[in-house]
Amino acid sequence: MSKLATLAEAVASIPSGAHVALSGFAITRCNMAFAREVIRQGIRRLTVSQCVGAMDADLLVGAGAVERMIYGGGSLDRFGRLNNVNRAIESGTLIAEEYSSLSVAFRYLAGALGLPFIPIRSLRGSDILARLQRIAPENVSMVRDPFTGEEWLALRPLVPDVAVVQVQMADEEGNAWIFGPRWDNEEQVKASQRVIVITEQLVPTEIIRRDPERTVIPGFKVSHVVHLPFSAHPTSVYRVYDYDAEHIREYAAATKTPEGFQAYLEKYVFGVRDHWEYLELIGGMKHLTPLLADPILGY
Amino acid sequence: MYAEDYTPFELMAVAGARELKDGEIAAVGIGLPVVASFLAKRTHAPHLTILFELGVVDPEPIHTGVGLADPRVWYRAKVMSSFVDMLGMVLHRGLVDVGFLGGLETDAYGNLNTTLLGDPHGQFTHFVGSGGANDIASSAKRTVIIIRHEARKLKEAVSFVTSPGYLRGGNEREAAGLRGGPVRVITDKAIFGFDPQTRRMRLESIHPHTTLEDVLANMGFRPLIPDPVPVTEPPTVEQIRLIREEIDPEGIYVR
Repeated sequence: MSKLATLAEAVASIPSGAHVALSGFAITRCNMAFAREVIRQGIRRLTVSQCVGAMDADLLVGAGAVERMIYGGGSLDRFGRLNNVNRAIESGTLIAEEYSSLSVAFRYLAGALGLPFIPIRSLRGSDILARLQRIAPENVSMVRDPFTGEEWLALRPLVPDVAVVQVQMADEEGNAWIFGPRWDNEEQVKASQRVIVITEQLVPTEIIRRDPERTVIPGFKVSHVVHLPFSAHPTSVYRVYDYDAEHIREYAAATKTPEGFQAYLEKYVFGVRDHWEYLELIGGMKHLTPLLADPILGY
Repeated sequence: MYAEDYTPFELMAVAGARELKDGEIAAVGIGLPVVASFLAKRTHAPHLTILFELGVVDPEPIHTGVGLADPRVWYRAKVMSSFVDMLGMVLHRGLVDVGFLGGLETDAYGNLNTTLLGDPHGQFTHFVGSGGANDIASSAKRTVIIIRHEARKLKEAVSFVTSPGYLRGGNEREAAGLRGGPVRVITDKAIFGFDPQTRRMRLESIHPHTTLEDVLANMGFRPLIPDPVPVTEPPTVEQIRLIREEIDPEGIYVR
C-alpha cells in the first residue's frame, strides 16, 4: 500500500500537543524541512525527544512550537551551541527533561520492547538525576533487583506518538534503510506509535526485497512516506550530501539573539511557501551540487 | 628522542595517549581525546579499539571533522551502529577500559560539569549537557579528564555535577553504584591522580617549563602535593611529527 504523501500532509497529521521523536543528531540527518513546515502550520505545545539535542529541535524550540524537550544534551558541534534551546531553558519557557544520551536511548528501548521500566547505571550520584527527581519524578525511580537485592535506577519507557526519521532510501510502504551510524533512530522508530519517513530517495519495493537485512524501519509502522530531496539541509545526510557549513554558521550567529533568530525565521521559514521555494532561496542546484557526497568518502 | 618544540596542547594529547594500553577499548569524544587515541594506536597501542558513542568503531579519518556528527570522523569505520550498541552493549556491559572526558569545570574529586554555569536554582547559563559523558563517567572501568588549567575550571566544587567523579570523596562513588572512576586529570600545566583513600586530587607531575607556584596559582583548590614533585615526561620527536603531519595536520585540536 502506498503511503506517499506531501510534507504538508504528513505534518498536518500531527496534532498540537503530540510527542514527536526527532531523528537528528547535532548537525546530521536533522528533520529540517519537517521543522520548517511544522512552524508554518502553527503546530504548538509539542514534546520533542532525541538522544542528542540537534538543529531540528533548536529550530522548533526557537519558533515556540515546543513545550517539553526530553534529551541528553546537545550542540551544533563546533559551529556552536543550541542557542534557542539554551535560551528557553534559562528563561524557563521550555520544560527541559535533560538526561544522558544512553538514558534516553534506554527509555526508547524499554518503549520498543514493551517493558514497564528499564534499570540503568547512568545518572546515579549526578545533579542530572537530582534535577529529574524534582521536575519529572514520574519518570525516574529507585528499584530493588529481585535477584541480588541491589538498588538500581529505573527509567520509565518512552512511547512517542510519532517518530519522524530522515533516511537515505525508502519504498512507498515506508520500508527504509539508514546508511551510516543510526544513533537512537531504530529504538525511536520501534518505541513510537507510528512513523513518518522522510526520504532522499524513493525506490521500488523490489530493491528493498533484494537486501532486506538492511531494513531498519519496517513499513508496517509507517503512516506517511515523504519523498523530499535535501530535506535535511543545512545538516548532512551520509552518502547523499555534506552539511552546509556556511548556512550553519549563519544560523549559529543568528540564534545568538531572539531578534537575529526572528529574522532567520522570517527569511527561511515564513518567507517561502514550501521546501521547493526554500531550495531556490538558498541558491538552488548551483548551491547544492558542491555539497553532494563523494561516493567513496560518503560526505 | 624528546622534542624541544611542542605546544601545551600537544603535550596534553601525548599524555592522554600514554594513558592507553595496547588491546584496550577506549570511548572517545571529539577534540584532544581523538588526537590522543589515534596517536596511541599509531605508536604503542596498535590493537586499541576506538569507540564513538553514536555507533562508530575504529574509523580512519583522512579529514578533520567538526564533531561526532561529522561523517569525516566516521570514514573507514569497522562498525556503524547505535547508542544502544556502543554505550549500551559495550560500555554499560562493562567492556570499556578507558573513557576520555572534558568539561566546563572539574573539582577536587573529579566531578565534571558540562551543563551550566551559575546558580542551578536561579540565574545560570546553559551549555551542552551530558551527551554520552555521564554514561562514560558511570560505566567505564576508568576515566581520564582532559581540561584547561584555569582557576575557573579547577574548582573546589563544581556548580552542577553532570558526570560524577568521586562525588564528595571516600567511598561515595561506590555507594552510588557507579563503576570505575577518574584516574588522571591532564591539564596544560600538570597531571593529577587521586588519593586512593580520600579520593582527593593529587598532583602527579608538573609539565616542563612550569613551576609548582604557577600550577597552584591557577587552581581553585589545593591538591595533595608529593615531595619532590616529578616533571612530566615530554613528548618525543616522533609523537609530535605524527600529530602535526598525520593526525591533526590542520592544527584544529592541538594548536
